[in-house]
Amino acid sequence: MESPLSAVKRPRSFKPKKRLQKDVVGKYMFVLPGLLFLAVFMLFPIGYNVYLTFHNVTVFNIMSGYEFTWLDNYKAVLTDTVFLQSVKNSIVFTTLCLLFQFVIGLALALFFNKTFPGRGLFRALLLMAWMIPLVITGTLFQWMFAGEYGIINHFLLWANIIEEPIYWVSNEQTALYSTIIANIWIGIPFNMVILLAGLQSLPTDIYEAARVDGASKWRQFFAITLPLLKPTLFILVMLGIIYTFKVFDIILIMTKGGPLYASTVMPFYAYEQAFINYNFSIGATITTVMLALLIVVSLIYLRIARKEDEA
Amino acid sequence: MKKRFVDSQYVASLIGLISTMLFLFPVYWMFVTSIKPMSAIFAIPPQIIPREVTTEAYIDNILNNPEIVRFFLNSVVIALGTLVLTLALAVPVAYALARLDIKGKGAIIGVMLVAQMLPSIMLALPFFLLFSHLGLLNHFIALILANTTTALPFAVLVLRPFFMSIPQGLEEAAAMDGSNRFLTFVRIILPLAKPGLLTVGAFAFLFAWGDLLYALILTTDESIRPLTVYLYTFVGQHGTNWNSLMAVSFVAIIPIILIFIAFQKHIVEGIASGSMK
Repeated sequence: MESPLSAVKRPRSFKPKKRLQKDVVGKYMFVLPGLLFLAVFMLFPIGYNVYLTFHNVTVFNIMSGYEFTWLDNYKAVLTDTVFLQSVKNSIVFTTLCLLFQFVIGLALALFFNKTFPGRGLFRALLLMAWMIPLVITGTLFQWMFAGEYGIINHFLLWANIIEEPIYWVSNEQTALYSTIIANIWIGIPFNMVILLAGLQSLPTDIYEAARVDGASKWRQFFAITLPLLKPTLFILVMLGIIYTFKVFDIILIMTKGGPLYASTVMPFYAYEQAFINYNFSIGATITTVMLALLIVVSLIYLRIARKEDEA
Repeated sequence: MKKRFVDSQYVASLIGLISTMLFLFPVYWMFVTSIKPMSAIFAIPPQIIPREVTTEAYIDNILNNPEIVRFFLNSVVIALGTLVLTLALAVPVAYALARLDIKGKGAIIGVMLVAQMLPSIMLALPFFLLFSHLGLLNHFIALILANTTTALPFAVLVLRPFFMSIPQGLEEAAAMDGSNRFLTFVRIILPLAKPGLLTVGAFAFLFAWGDLLYALILTTDESIRPLTVYLYTFVGQHGTNWNSLMAVSFVAIIPIILIFIAFQKHIVEGIASGSMK
């Protein structure tokens, strides 16, 4: 691959003072800055986070001195009923978001897989919803979910689905669901784009053969499309879990985790402990538990993915 | 490609248009709320099509509100800084992963995947303590560094397939002509990877533009806080002044609308390729 000429002839504009050892060092110079950045601004913070979990650091003692506390923080967190509720809320939040984003995203992807005028523009416009800053989406949904004046209640009343306006974000029963609905809206376009890319990579000749054999559209979908789409589905579920599990802004804007922790998910509880109660170590412990859960999920995913490869 | 369509495709267009409009109804509702007078905001039933249109929310909160310009510019500085730093770091890494024969490629890709899954809240706390030690709280650089941790792994994963799709012979031909690796990269490869660079640049910009958490935690000084924090505090102060809230929100998403219209094709492909690899 390396041409010996590159070491001999040089363009006039380039005059290095000293020659590096062949090209070996030069090659690694491409990755060095990026990796250094990750080491300083990702690995180090994670390590520091873990360090915090074994100490009792709060805003009050961070300067004056804190102590090594073994596993006390983990014990405190794992027996905290609010934390356990936040785990439950996170699981409900992630499961429902994933399910609905996927089903609606797939329906849209199947439709946008056809060729028609304006397809590219519509697709991009849909995707825009995904990139709107969450503080704006959150505020917008808060307004749409408003009690007496909210447009959602208006539609539901009009369709006779409910008889009285629901105070979505301030009601203990519905607060979490209102944030879930907002987040489903955000996630649909992303799911659609990934599924669409998956659909477009499928071979077309199989469908022709199926058509010749007289297979119906439904049969084609379940017998060909879904099985072939499996690798895409794995990636989507994995990314979906990762992205949905860390949702924070929507909760902060719409419900602030309330009422009475009804919509507190794990990242929000970590934020509350660290930056509202200034209990840094407890906040760090919650995020470390989150990271552990995410790692477990990724390992399961990698294992399944490898089995798929071998099969 | 021939641009001829049959009738059934126009029907599909119509269905596409209707579903897009239904899906984007919340954005329409944002805009319509922003141009309604206060009295119409709380009308029952709600006016889906406004009976009276006014620009007072925009005049009061944007034109007669000089501080919003500062917040807007702060967002631009943070987002552009993130864009530049992300590209500077991610482009060489992605190129090396796609083309150069370096050790530990698989491990580096793995690190990027893991880095992409880290929740911001997990980094926010150590950043807060680290940057306060370094005296960097309330500096743009803290926000740019923090936002780059979000954008960098994504950028590397999206750019790698872009570099892989550039014909291999080019580098060898350049080497024959006496160009060294660095010059080949800058003069030949980078211009060819332009669509990828635009996509990744747009994403880095938008990630940073939408960030609330880092800005909330790493800054307290109004003079450097971005638009998202302004909106967040605005919600607290103006409670149910929905037309004002929606007017400011709408102005904040204008850059996103513009970027999406300008780069629509690249962005859609970029997301797909980056997530699949």
